[in-house]
Amino acid sequence: MLMRYIARRLLIGAAQLIGLTIAVFFLIRLLPADPVSRLVGMNASPEAYAQAAAQLGVDKPVLEQLAIYLGFKPDIAPGILQGTLGISWVTNTPILSEIAAYLPVTLELITLAFLVALLVSVPVGMLGALNPGGKADKGVFVYSLFAGSQPEFWWGLLFVYVFFYQLGIAPPPLGRLGPMTTPPDPVTGFMLIDTLLAGRPDKFVEALHHLMLPVAVLAFTLSGPIIKMVRQNMLRAMRSDFVLYANAVGLPRRRVARYALRAAMAPSMTLIGILYGFMLSGAVLVESVFSLGGIGQYAVRSVLAFDYPAIQGVVLVITAISLAVYLALDLIHAVIDPRIAH
Amino acid sequence: MSPTDPEAAPLPRKADWLLYLGATIVTVVTVLAVIGPYIGPYDPTLTTPRVAVPPPALSEIPGLLAGWIGGTLDHPPHWMGTDASGYDILSRVIAAPRTDLLIALSANLLSLAIGVFLGLIAGYFRNWATELLMRVSDVMQSFPVFISAMVLVALAGRSTANIVIALAFVYVPIYIRLTRAEVLSQTSRGFVEAARAIGQPELRIALRHVLPNSMTPALIQSSVTIGFAILLTAGLSFVGAGVRPPTPEWGLMISTGANQIILGEWWPSVFPGIAISLTVFGFAVLGNVLERRYEGS
Repeated sequence: MLMRYIARRLLIGAAQLIGLTIAVFFLIRLLPADPVSRLVGMNASPEAYAQAAAQLGVDKPVLEQLAIYLGFKPDIAPGILQGTLGISWVTNTPILSEIAAYLPVTLELITLAFLVALLVSVPVGMLGALNPGGKADKGVFVYSLFAGSQPEFWWGLLFVYVFFYQLGIAPPPLGRLGPMTTPPDPVTGFMLIDTLLAGRPDKFVEALHHLMLPVAVLAFTLSGPIIKMVRQNMLRAMRSDFVLYANAVGLPRRRVARYALRAAMAPSMTLIGILYGFMLSGAVLVESVFSLGGIGQYAVRSVLAFDYPAIQGVVLVITAISLAVYLALDLIHAVIDPRIAH
Repeated sequence: MSPTDPEAAPLPRKADWLLYLGATIVTVVTVLAVIGPYIGPYDPTLTTPRVAVPPPALSEIPGLLAGWIGGTLDHPPHWMGTDASGYDILSRVIAAPRTDLLIALSANLLSLAIGVFLGLIAGYFRNWATELLMRVSDVMQSFPVFISAMVLVALAGRSTANIVIALAFVYVPIYIRLTRAEVLSQTSRGFVEAARAIGQPELRIALRHVLPNSMTPALIQSSVTIGFAILLTAGLSFVGAGVRPPTPEWGLMISTGANQIILGEWWPSVFPGIAISLTVFGFAVLGNVLERRYEGS
């Protein structure tokens, strides 16, 4: 039963990815933009223009371009079926290797931010739910609304002003390491892991220091929706029969709360997964403020340069990861709760 | 839900200060969207010769106020300072709701109209076509929000209309989903069967009877959507894919001040940021309080 559920979900996910790939491909080409003149400049001669168009392959019919992109014509150029996402029009490097360099930065950033946000939000959300309607609960509700509706890039700038300019306890927002530090060999792409692999704990601390403010900003804005959700699920769990029973037999309050939390976390995981997928591109503004060079900044650069293959690649990869995260969470859920697979 | 329901209990119906707070913020911003560009001391789109002037210190304010009222100053004071190009920040902060709110409201109306209509169709007439519609909406919803908005604006041209269309595109699936769910719960209700029993045509039942009863969740969601649309508009400006300078827009103002903040010039970014922060919070509060009341009733 579980295997059939997994197979079905994988099939739906694959169909969704194919639909998305084709939709993005056409959507970009429907927009009134001229990438060729963007690349060769406004004053290029018609010959230079035609040559550039031929080189990029945009002189071919759109359906043929799609076929090449998807990989049905490997004799002209390799496509998705051959395991490539195309070549960037701007840098002439394979897009997959570019994304592989930028993506770990974002994953590192948002994973840490989620960990911090969860550590803060779970106790705070519980605090609100344990005494619904009380002063603490109202405070928690207002805080979660506030944190969830903030311009995170502005908070980033504010943090830079306070912690870098005024207090001097944070590094300048200019990247993942100081300008004088040579980065370790990229093995995994995750700075925190690579510095340790290279046996340089000093650089590990430096990387952590540079991540301090961006992680704090993201954890702050993430704490809003997470607290709201923990509080809601906790309230629901506190009303269920097993909690009523546990209270009735006189178990200590702390222990009942612990039981309820376990029941509340299962539905919370789904929303956290959706938030995680959202943050893959949602961290872009914070990446820009701190010049971290993540996948979001790569997307911005590609969009502003009209680099169509790169845009398609980024959207595809980000969506694929989000779908994979949802699937993984649903599978965990299905294993815990067999009713779902039916 | 029953009155003893703890989830409904936290916010009593009467004397809800949060509701007043949200409503006040929303009202102030709306009024500024109408009159903001005219009431500032300077033209929000013209530079002054005074570049990067910091806002007056607290101790200077009484003297400046007296001079301003008495007419002894050679130019109106820059209450929030000026930025690196010499724009008066106060004038731009209060002129910006015209841009930000107009974009957010239009985008919301557009996505609301399309989303509610499609949601009604998808929920009421359930066949292969509406099933396809839902799958398309699923795919749209799995687009990364910020990147798709950026692609649409940057490639179609950085005009206000294109920003509105891009935001609407992003928000339509939410409204389809919300309305469809509500329609599904309404179609089995007595009034629908009654209308059908007296021989009304299906389309008429859907539009006249089901639609008005299914719009509340979408309308409540509007307040939250408008807030997030303002955030997204500002974010687009921040990465250079939003409105063009010198349009007064909060995100653009923060972005032009961003380079100076490392040098200690905090005021060009901080004041517009406070404005966004409060505005979006206001819309979120209003939306959430209304949602709770609706669910609690």
